[in-house]
Amino acid sequence: MNSIASSQDTIQGSEPFQVSLERFEGPLDLLLHLIRSQDIDIFDIPIARITEQFVSALSDGLEAMPIERAGEFLEMASTLVRIKAQLLLPRPEQPDWDADPRAELVRRLLEYEHFQDVVHVLEGAEAQRGRHFAKGFVESRPAPTLAPVELELTLAEFLAAAARIPEPLPPVVFRPPSQTVTVGEKVSLLRRLLAKAKRVSFDRLFRPWGTRAHAIAALLAALELARQQVLRIEQVKPFASIWLLPGERKQTGDPPEATESAEGIA
Amino acid sequence: MKVEQIVEATLFASQTPLTLEEISRADEGLDVERVVEAIQFLRDSYEDAERAFQIYQLGDGFQVLTRPEYAPYLERFDSVPRAPHLSPAALETLAIIAYRKPIGRIEIEEVRGVSASSVLRTLLDWELVQVVARGEGLGRPLLYGVTQKFLEHFGMKDVSDLPAADELPVVLGELQQAMEAERPKPLAAETADSTGESS
Repeated sequence: MNSIASSQDTIQGSEPFQVSLERFEGPLDLLLHLIRSQDIDIFDIPIARITEQFVSALSDGLEAMPIERAGEFLEMASTLVRIKAQLLLPRPEQPDWDADPRAELVRRLLEYEHFQDVVHVLEGAEAQRGRHFAKGFVESRPAPTLAPVELELTLAEFLAAAARIPEPLPPVVFRPPSQTVTVGEKVSLLRRLLAKAKRVSFDRLFRPWGTRAHAIAALLAALELARQQVLRIEQVKPFASIWLLPGERKQTGDPPEATESAEGIA
Repeated sequence: MKVEQIVEATLFASQTPLTLEEISRADEGLDVERVVEAIQFLRDSYEDAERAFQIYQLGDGFQVLTRPEYAPYLERFDSVPRAPHLSPAALETLAIIAYRKPIGRIEIEEVRGVSASSVLRTLLDWELVQVVARGEGLGRPLLYGVTQKFLEHFGMKDVSDLPAADELPVVLGELQQAMEAERPKPLAAETADSTGESS
Protein backbone atom coordinates (compact mmCIF):
# COMPACT_ATOMS: atom_id res chain seq x y z
CA MET A 1 0.00 0.00 0.00
CA ASN A 2 2.67 2.39 0.99
CA SER A 3 4.88 1.48 -1.91
CA ILE A 4 2.02 1.85 -4.37
CA ALA A 5 1.19 5.27 -3.04
CA SER A 6 4.76 6.42 -3.28
CA SER A 7 5.31 5.08 -6.79
CA GLN A 8 2.17 6.86 -7.93
CA ASP A 9 3.56 9.91 -6.34
CA THR A 10 6.77 9.65 -8.28
CA ILE A 11 5.05 9.06 -11.61
CA GLN A 12 2.49 11.83 -11.28
CA GLY A 13 4.89 14.16 -9.59
CA SER A 14 7.34 13.90 -12.45
CA GLU A 15 4.75 15.00 -15.01
CA PRO A 16 4.87 18.68 -15.76
CA PHE A 17 1.56 20.01 -14.52
CA GLN A 18 0.50 22.76 -16.85
CA VAL A 19 -2.01 25.21 -15.45
CA SER A 20 -2.79 28.77 -16.34
CA LEU A 21 -3.01 30.90 -13.23
CA GLU A 22 -5.44 33.33 -14.81
CA ARG A 23 -8.09 30.64 -14.80
CA PHE A 24 -8.13 30.54 -11.05
CA GLU A 25 -9.95 32.82 -8.70
CA GLY A 26 -7.29 32.37 -6.07
CA PRO A 27 -4.95 29.95 -4.32
CA LEU A 28 -7.75 27.75 -2.93
CA ASP A 29 -9.20 27.39 -6.40
CA LEU A 30 -5.81 26.35 -7.79
CA LEU A 31 -5.14 23.97 -4.94
CA LEU A 32 -8.54 22.36 -5.26
CA HIS A 33 -7.97 21.96 -8.99
CA LEU A 34 -4.63 20.23 -8.40
CA ILE A 35 -6.24 17.87 -5.91
CA ARG A 36 -9.43 17.10 -7.82
CA SER A 37 -7.86 16.77 -11.26
CA GLN A 38 -5.43 14.16 -9.96
CA ASP A 39 -8.10 12.30 -8.04
CA ILE A 40 -6.31 12.83 -4.78
CA ASP A 41 -8.04 11.92 -1.52
CA ILE A 42 -8.62 15.29 0.07
CA PHE A 43 -8.26 13.75 3.54
CA ASP A 44 -4.84 12.47 2.58
CA ILE A 45 -3.18 15.19 0.57
CA PRO A 46 0.39 14.38 -0.46
CA ILE A 47 1.66 17.73 0.66
CA ALA A 48 5.12 17.44 -0.83
CA ARG A 49 3.86 16.69 -4.33
CA ILE A 50 1.07 19.27 -4.19
CA THR A 51 3.43 21.92 -2.87
CA GLU A 52 5.82 21.26 -5.71
CA GLN A 53 3.05 21.50 -8.30
CA PHE A 54 1.60 24.59 -6.67
CA VAL A 55 4.93 26.39 -6.67
CA SER A 56 5.72 25.40 -10.26
CA ALA A 57 2.32 26.70 -11.36
CA LEU A 58 3.17 30.00 -9.69
CA SER A 59 6.57 30.29 -11.31
CA ASP A 60 5.01 31.02 -14.69
CA GLY A 61 2.34 33.58 -13.97
CA LEU A 62 3.33 35.24 -10.75
CA GLU A 63 5.29 38.13 -12.20
CA ALA A 64 2.45 39.20 -14.46
CA MET A 65 0.06 39.42 -11.51
CA PRO A 66 -0.93 42.46 -9.55
CA ILE A 67 1.04 42.45 -6.33
CA GLU A 68 -1.99 41.87 -4.10
CA ARG A 69 -3.06 38.80 -6.04
CA ALA A 70 0.49 37.48 -6.16
CA GLY A 71 0.65 37.88 -2.39
CA GLU A 72 -2.43 35.70 -1.94
CA PHE A 73 -0.83 32.88 -3.93
CA LEU A 74 2.48 33.26 -2.12
CA GLU A 75 0.76 33.14 1.24
CA MET A 76 -0.74 29.78 0.31
CA ALA A 77 2.63 28.56 -0.96
CA SER A 78 4.20 29.43 2.37
CA THR A 79 1.37 27.69 4.22
CA LEU A 80 2.02 24.56 2.17
CA VAL A 81 5.73 24.69 2.86
CA ARG A 82 5.04 25.15 6.57
CA ILE A 83 2.72 22.14 6.62
CA LYS A 84 5.30 20.10 4.75
CA ALA A 85 7.93 21.05 7.29
CA GLN A 86 5.64 20.20 10.21
CA LEU A 87 4.96 16.79 8.73
CA LEU A 88 8.68 16.06 8.64
CA LEU A 89 9.03 16.83 12.34
CA PRO A 90 8.81 13.91 14.77
CA ARG A 91 5.21 13.63 15.93
CA PRO A 92 3.64 12.50 19.15
CA GLU A 93 2.72 8.87 19.41
CA GLN A 94 -1.06 9.10 19.39
CA PRO A 95 -2.45 9.72 15.91
CA ASP A 96 -4.73 12.71 16.27
CA TRP A 97 -6.43 14.27 13.29
CA ASP A 98 -6.62 17.63 15.02
CA ALA A 99 -2.87 17.50 15.38
CA ASP A 100 -2.45 16.85 11.69
CA PRO A 101 -1.01 20.05 10.25
CA ARG A 102 -3.16 19.52 7.15
CA ALA A 103 -6.49 19.57 9.00
CA GLU A 104 -7.11 23.31 8.77
CA LEU A 105 -6.18 23.38 5.08
CA VAL A 106 -8.54 20.48 4.36
CA ARG A 107 -11.34 22.25 6.19
CA ARG A 108 -10.78 25.41 4.13
CA LEU A 109 -10.62 23.46 0.87
CA LEU A 110 -13.86 21.64 1.58
CA GLU A 111 -15.53 24.84 2.63
CA TYR A 112 -14.36 26.49 -0.58
CA GLU A 113 -15.60 23.55 -2.61
CA HIS A 114 -18.93 23.75 -0.82
CA PHE A 115 -19.34 27.33 -1.99
CA GLN A 116 -18.29 26.40 -5.50
CA ASP A 117 -21.37 24.18 -5.52
CA VAL A 118 -23.43 27.20 -4.51
CA VAL A 119 -21.79 29.15 -7.33
CA HIS A 120 -22.98 26.52 -9.81
CA VAL A 121 -26.50 26.79 -8.40
CA LEU A 122 -26.38 30.58 -8.77
CA GLU A 123 -25.04 30.32 -12.31
CA GLY A 124 -27.91 28.05 -13.23
CA ALA A 125 -30.43 30.41 -11.63
CA GLU A 126 -28.87 33.38 -13.42
CA ALA A 127 -29.07 31.63 -16.79
CA GLN A 128 -32.68 30.63 -16.16
CA ARG A 129 -33.62 34.15 -15.13
CA GLY A 130 -31.95 35.47 -18.28
CA ARG A 131 -34.52 33.61 -20.34
CA HIS A 132 -37.37 35.70 -18.98
CA PHE A 133 -37.90 39.15 -20.43
CA ALA A 134 -39.76 41.99 -18.87
CA LYS A 135 -41.94 44.38 -20.77
CA GLY A 136 -39.96 47.18 -22.32
CA PHE A 137 -36.90 45.09 -22.93
CA VAL A 138 -37.27 45.33 -26.68
CA GLU A 139 -36.40 48.96 -27.08
CA SER A 140 -37.18 51.00 -30.14
CA ARG A 141 -34.68 49.93 -32.69
CA PRO A 142 -32.00 52.34 -33.75
CA ALA A 143 -31.60 53.02 -37.45
CA PRO A 144 -30.09 49.89 -38.91
CA THR A 145 -26.42 50.16 -39.52
CA LEU A 146 -25.65 48.52 -42.81
CA ALA A 147 -23.20 45.76 -42.27
CA PRO A 148 -20.38 45.71 -44.78
CA VAL A 149 -21.25 43.17 -47.42
CA GLU A 150 -18.63 40.62 -48.03
CA LEU A 151 -17.91 40.06 -51.72
CA GLU A 152 -18.72 36.56 -52.73
CA LEU A 153 -17.62 36.39 -56.34
CA THR A 154 -14.64 35.40 -58.35
CA LEU A 155 -12.48 37.73 -60.35
CA ALA A 156 -13.99 36.31 -63.54
CA GLU A 157 -17.50 37.08 -62.31
CA PHE A 158 -16.44 40.54 -61.33
CA LEU A 159 -14.92 41.21 -64.75
CA ALA A 160 -17.97 39.83 -66.49
CA ALA A 161 -20.16 42.15 -64.45
CA ALA A 162 -17.88 45.05 -65.28
CA ALA A 163 -18.10 44.17 -68.97
CA ARG A 164 -21.89 44.41 -68.82
CA ILE A 165 -21.73 48.06 -67.88
CA PRO A 166 -22.38 49.97 -71.12
CA GLU A 167 -19.63 52.07 -72.57
CA PRO A 168 -19.85 55.64 -71.38
CA LEU A 169 -21.79 57.79 -73.78
CA PRO A 170 -19.64 59.73 -76.16
CA PRO A 171 -19.02 63.21 -74.89
CA VAL A 172 -21.59 65.70 -76.03
CA VAL A 173 -20.45 67.26 -79.24
CA PHE A 174 -19.85 70.92 -78.82
CA ARG A 175 -22.52 72.97 -80.48
CA PRO A 176 -22.12 76.61 -81.19
CA PRO A 177 -24.75 78.65 -79.39
CA SER A 178 -27.82 78.40 -81.50
CA GLN A 179 -29.63 81.44 -82.60
CA THR A 180 -32.41 82.45 -80.34
CA VAL A 181 -35.56 80.61 -81.12
CA THR A 182 -39.06 81.97 -80.79
CA VAL A 183 -42.28 80.31 -79.85
CA GLY A 184 -43.60 81.49 -83.19
CA GLU A 185 -40.94 79.51 -85.03
CA LYS A 186 -41.90 76.40 -83.11
CA VAL A 187 -45.59 77.00 -83.80
CA SER A 188 -44.97 77.09 -87.50
CA LEU A 189 -42.69 74.05 -87.26
CA LEU A 190 -45.38 72.20 -85.40
CA ARG A 191 -48.05 73.16 -87.88
CA ARG A 192 -45.83 72.03 -90.70
CA LEU A 193 -45.15 68.69 -89.13
CA LEU A 194 -48.77 68.05 -88.24
CA ALA A 195 -49.76 68.76 -91.77
CA LYS A 196 -47.48 65.95 -92.92
CA ALA A 197 -47.86 63.38 -90.16
CA LYS A 198 -50.71 61.90 -88.14
CA ARG A 199 -48.82 62.48 -84.98
CA VAL A 200 -45.66 64.19 -83.96
CA SER A 201 -43.30 63.27 -81.18
CA PHE A 202 -42.76 66.16 -78.85
CA ASP A 203 -39.03 65.29 -78.80
CA ARG A 204 -38.81 66.01 -82.47
CA LEU A 205 -39.59 69.68 -81.88
CA PHE A 206 -36.39 70.39 -80.04
CA ARG A 207 -34.14 67.32 -79.94
CA PRO A 208 -32.22 68.15 -83.12
CA TRP A 209 -31.13 71.45 -81.60
CA GLY A 210 -30.45 70.02 -78.17
CA THR A 211 -30.77 73.23 -76.22
CA ARG A 212 -33.01 74.18 -73.44
CA ALA A 213 -34.25 77.23 -75.27
CA HIS A 214 -35.64 75.07 -78.04
CA ALA A 215 -37.31 72.75 -75.54
CA ILE A 216 -38.98 75.66 -73.79
CA ALA A 217 -40.09 77.24 -77.03
CA ALA A 218 -41.42 73.90 -78.26
CA LEU A 219 -43.33 73.33 -75.05
CA LEU A 220 -44.90 76.79 -75.14
CA ALA A 221 -45.77 76.33 -78.81
CA ALA A 222 -47.37 72.95 -78.10
CA LEU A 223 -49.35 74.35 -75.19
CA GLU A 224 -50.45 77.36 -77.24
CA LEU A 225 -51.71 75.17 -80.06
CA ALA A 226 -53.37 72.81 -77.61
CA ARG A 227 -55.15 75.77 -76.08
CA GLN A 228 -56.34 76.70 -79.55
CA GLN A 229 -57.44 73.08 -79.94
CA VAL A 230 -55.32 72.74 -83.03
CA LEU A 231 -53.70 69.72 -81.46
CA ARG A 232 -54.11 67.31 -78.57
CA ILE A 233 -51.32 66.27 -76.29
CA GLU A 234 -51.18 62.66 -75.19
CA GLN A 235 -48.97 60.75 -72.90
CA VAL A 236 -49.73 57.13 -71.98
CA LYS A 237 -48.08 57.26 -68.61
CA PRO A 238 -45.69 59.52 -66.71
CA PHE A 239 -42.30 59.83 -68.41
CA ALA A 240 -43.54 58.08 -71.53
CA SER A 241 -43.16 59.79 -74.87
CA ILE A 242 -45.37 62.80 -75.44
CA TRP A 243 -47.30 62.73 -78.63
CA LEU A 244 -48.95 65.65 -80.35
CA LEU A 245 -51.99 64.82 -82.42
CA PRO A 246 -54.20 66.95 -84.59
CA GLY A 247 -56.98 68.49 -82.57
CA GLU A 248 -60.61 69.24 -83.28
CA ARG A 249 -59.82 72.35 -85.25
CA LYS A 250 -57.96 70.41 -87.83
CA GLN A 251 -56.07 72.51 -90.22
CA THR A 252 -55.43 69.64 -92.59
CA GLY A 253 -58.65 67.64 -92.36
CA ASP A 254 -57.10 64.34 -91.48
CA PRO A 255 -59.66 61.62 -90.94
CA PRO A 256 -60.20 60.82 -87.27
CA GLU A 257 -59.63 57.09 -87.74
CA ALA A 258 -56.04 57.82 -88.70
CA THR A 259 -55.59 59.35 -85.27
CA GLU A 260 -57.14 56.31 -83.67
CA SER A 261 -54.77 53.99 -85.41
CA ALA A 262 -51.84 56.17 -84.41
CA GLU A 263 -52.98 55.95 -80.82
CA GLY A 264 -53.26 52.23 -81.19
CA ILE A 265 -49.67 52.00 -82.17
CA ALA A 266 -48.59 54.24 -79.35
CA MET B 1 -64.37 46.75 -12.92
CA LYS B 2 -63.11 43.46 -11.64
CA VAL B 3 -60.32 43.13 -9.11
CA GLU B 4 -58.40 40.80 -11.42
CA GLN B 5 -58.40 43.37 -14.17
CA ILE B 6 -57.18 46.14 -11.91
CA VAL B 7 -54.33 43.94 -10.73
CA GLU B 8 -53.58 42.89 -14.29
CA ALA B 9 -53.48 46.50 -15.47
CA THR B 10 -51.11 47.42 -12.65
CA LEU B 11 -48.74 44.56 -13.38
CA PHE B 12 -48.95 45.13 -17.11
CA ALA B 13 -48.02 48.79 -16.84
CA SER B 14 -45.02 48.23 -14.57
CA GLN B 15 -41.52 47.61 -15.83
CA THR B 16 -40.27 46.54 -12.40
CA PRO B 17 -41.58 44.01 -9.89
CA LEU B 18 -44.40 45.31 -7.68
CA THR B 19 -45.03 44.16 -4.14
CA LEU B 20 -48.49 43.10 -3.04
CA GLU B 21 -48.77 46.31 -1.03
CA GLU B 22 -47.87 48.41 -4.03
CA ILE B 23 -50.45 46.66 -6.17
CA SER B 24 -53.15 47.00 -3.52
CA ARG B 25 -52.65 50.77 -3.60
CA ALA B 26 -54.32 50.81 -7.01
CA ASP B 27 -57.80 50.75 -5.52
CA GLU B 28 -59.47 51.22 -2.16
CA GLY B 29 -61.32 47.95 -2.62
CA LEU B 30 -58.03 46.04 -2.76
CA ASP B 31 -56.06 44.49 0.03
CA VAL B 32 -53.09 42.15 0.03
CA GLU B 33 -55.21 39.01 0.24
CA ARG B 34 -57.41 40.00 -2.66
CA VAL B 35 -54.32 40.84 -4.70
CA VAL B 36 -52.88 37.40 -3.96
CA GLU B 37 -56.15 35.81 -5.11
CA ALA B 38 -56.22 37.96 -8.22
CA ILE B 39 -52.63 37.07 -9.10
CA GLN B 40 -53.41 33.39 -8.71
CA PHE B 41 -56.48 33.79 -10.89
CA LEU B 42 -54.47 35.60 -13.55
CA ARG B 43 -51.68 33.02 -13.42
CA ASP B 44 -54.19 30.23 -13.97
CA SER B 45 -55.90 32.04 -16.80
CA TYR B 46 -52.56 32.78 -18.53
CA GLU B 47 -51.69 29.13 -18.12
CA ASP B 48 -55.00 28.00 -19.60
CA ALA B 49 -54.75 30.46 -22.47
CA GLU B 50 -51.12 29.47 -23.11
CA ARG B 51 -50.00 33.07 -23.05
CA ALA B 52 -46.36 33.81 -23.89
CA PHE B 53 -45.99 35.51 -20.53
CA GLN B 54 -46.71 34.75 -16.93
CA ILE B 55 -46.66 36.53 -13.59
CA TYR B 56 -43.49 35.62 -11.72
CA GLN B 57 -42.50 36.32 -8.16
CA LEU B 58 -39.07 37.88 -7.74
CA GLY B 59 -38.25 38.45 -4.11
CA ASP B 60 -41.36 40.04 -2.64
CA GLY B 61 -42.30 41.58 -5.98
CA PHE B 62 -44.42 40.36 -8.86
CA GLN B 63 -43.73 41.01 -12.50
CA VAL B 64 -45.06 39.98 -15.88
CA LEU B 65 -42.23 38.25 -17.74
CA THR B 66 -42.09 36.28 -20.93
CA ARG B 67 -41.90 32.53 -20.62
CA PRO B 68 -38.42 31.09 -21.04
CA GLU B 69 -39.28 29.15 -24.19
CA TYR B 70 -39.63 32.43 -26.08
CA ALA B 71 -36.14 33.61 -25.19
CA PRO B 72 -34.60 32.43 -28.50
CA TYR B 73 -36.95 34.71 -30.43
CA LEU B 74 -36.41 37.75 -28.25
CA GLU B 75 -32.66 37.26 -28.26
CA ARG B 76 -32.65 37.89 -31.99
CA PHE B 77 -33.25 41.57 -31.32
CA ASP B 78 -29.94 43.34 -30.98
CA SER B 79 -31.59 45.97 -28.86
CA VAL B 80 -32.55 43.51 -26.13
CA PRO B 81 -30.01 44.10 -23.40
CA ARG B 82 -28.54 40.87 -22.11
CA ALA B 83 -28.78 40.47 -18.39
CA PRO B 84 -25.21 40.90 -17.23
CA HIS B 85 -23.47 37.71 -16.21
CA LEU B 86 -21.71 38.07 -12.89
CA SER B 87 -18.03 37.24 -12.67
CA PRO B 88 -16.86 34.11 -10.82
CA ALA B 89 -15.52 36.34 -8.07
CA ALA B 90 -18.88 38.06 -7.70
CA LEU B 91 -20.75 34.74 -7.69
CA GLU B 92 -18.39 33.29 -5.08
CA THR B 93 -18.84 36.29 -2.85
CA LEU B 94 -22.61 36.27 -3.28
CA ALA B 95 -22.73 32.55 -2.54
CA ILE B 96 -20.90 33.07 0.73
CA ILE B 97 -23.03 36.05 1.73
CA ALA B 98 -26.29 34.31 0.79
CA TYR B 99 -25.49 31.32 3.03
CA ARG B 100 -23.61 33.05 5.84
CA LYS B 101 -25.40 36.38 6.18
CA PRO B 102 -24.79 38.52 8.05
CA ILE B 103 -21.11 38.21 7.34
CA GLY B 104 -18.18 40.62 7.34
CA ARG B 105 -15.51 41.18 4.76
CA ILE B 106 -12.78 39.40 6.74
CA GLU B 107 -14.83 36.21 7.00
CA ILE B 108 -15.61 36.31 3.29
CA GLU B 109 -11.92 36.65 2.53
CA GLU B 110 -11.09 33.72 4.80
CA VAL B 111 -13.43 31.49 2.84
CA ARG B 112 -12.28 32.69 -0.56
CA GLY B 113 -8.60 32.97 0.23
CA VAL B 114 -8.46 36.22 -1.68
CA SER B 115 -9.27 39.85 -1.07
CA ALA B 116 -12.96 40.71 -1.31
CA SER B 117 -12.95 44.49 -0.98
CA SER B 118 -13.22 45.40 -4.66
CA VAL B 119 -15.81 42.76 -5.47
CA LEU B 120 -17.83 43.85 -2.43
CA ARG B 121 -17.74 47.42 -3.66
CA THR B 122 -19.08 46.30 -7.04
CA LEU B 123 -21.83 44.23 -5.46
CA LEU B 124 -22.82 47.18 -3.28
CA ASP B 125 -22.91 49.43 -6.34
CA TRP B 126 -25.16 46.96 -8.11
CA GLU B 127 -27.32 46.71 -4.98
CA LEU B 128 -26.92 42.95 -4.93
CA VAL B 129 -25.70 43.14 -1.35
CA GLN B 130 -26.24 45.65 1.41
CA VAL B 131 -24.96 46.37 4.87
CA VAL B 132 -27.41 44.71 7.23
CA ALA B 133 -25.68 45.13 10.57
CA ARG B 134 -22.43 45.92 12.31
CA GLY B 135 -20.39 43.22 13.95
CA GLU B 136 -19.32 43.12 17.57
CA GLY B 137 -15.57 42.90 17.09
CA LEU B 138 -12.85 45.43 16.65
CA GLY B 139 -13.95 48.48 14.67
CA ARG B 140 -17.50 47.12 14.53
CA PRO B 141 -17.10 45.67 11.05
CA LEU B 142 -19.84 46.01 8.46
CA LEU B 143 -21.90 42.87 7.97
CA TYR B 144 -23.44 42.15 4.61
CA GLY B 145 -26.56 40.42 3.39
CA VAL B 146 -28.18 39.90 0.00
CA THR B 147 -30.90 42.22 -1.32
CA GLN B 148 -34.17 42.19 -3.20
CA LYS B 149 -32.08 42.91 -6.34
CA PHE B 150 -30.20 39.68 -5.67
CA LEU B 151 -33.46 37.76 -5.69
CA GLU B 152 -34.55 39.54 -8.87
CA HIS B 153 -31.25 38.82 -10.59
CA PHE B 154 -31.43 35.13 -9.85
CA GLY B 155 -35.19 34.88 -10.27
CA MET B 156 -35.84 33.74 -6.71
CA LYS B 157 -38.73 34.34 -4.37
CA ASP B 158 -36.54 34.00 -1.35
CA VAL B 159 -33.05 32.84 -0.41
CA SER B 160 -34.77 29.66 0.71
CA ASP B 161 -35.07 28.91 -3.02
CA LEU B 162 -31.38 28.13 -2.81
CA PRO B 163 -30.73 24.51 -1.93
CA ALA B 164 -30.28 24.01 1.76
CA ALA B 165 -26.63 23.78 2.73
CA ASP B 166 -26.96 20.08 3.48
CA GLU B 167 -28.42 19.33 0.04
CA LEU B 168 -25.26 20.42 -1.75
CA PRO B 169 -22.73 17.86 -2.99
CA VAL B 170 -20.14 19.05 -0.48
CA VAL B 171 -21.92 19.22 2.83
CA LEU B 172 -20.22 21.11 5.59
CA GLY B 173 -22.27 19.51 8.35
CA GLU B 174 -20.99 16.09 7.38
CA LEU B 175 -17.51 17.41 6.89
CA GLN B 176 -16.73 17.28 10.56
CA GLN B 177 -17.98 13.69 10.78
CA ALA B 178 -15.93 12.71 7.77
CA MET B 179 -12.89 14.22 9.36
CA GLU B 180 -13.59 12.38 12.58
CA ALA B 181 -13.92 9.10 10.71
CA GLU B 182 -10.74 9.71 8.79
CA ARG B 183 -8.74 10.49 11.86
CA PRO B 184 -6.22 7.72 12.16
CA LYS B 185 -5.60 7.33 8.46
CA PRO B 186 -4.03 10.63 7.44
CA LEU B 187 -0.98 10.43 9.64
CA ALA B 188 -0.18 6.90 8.58
CA ALA B 189 -0.59 7.74 4.91
CA GLU B 190 1.37 10.92 5.25
CA THR B 191 4.36 8.90 6.35
CA ALA B 192 4.15 7.10 3.05
CA ASP B 193 4.01 10.41 1.23
CA SER B 194 7.03 11.77 3.05
CA THR B 195 9.07 8.68 2.46
CA GLY B 196 8.05 8.70 -1.19
CA GLU B 197 9.33 12.24 -1.52
CA SER B 198 12.53 11.66 0.38
CA SER B 199 13.55 8.62 -1.63
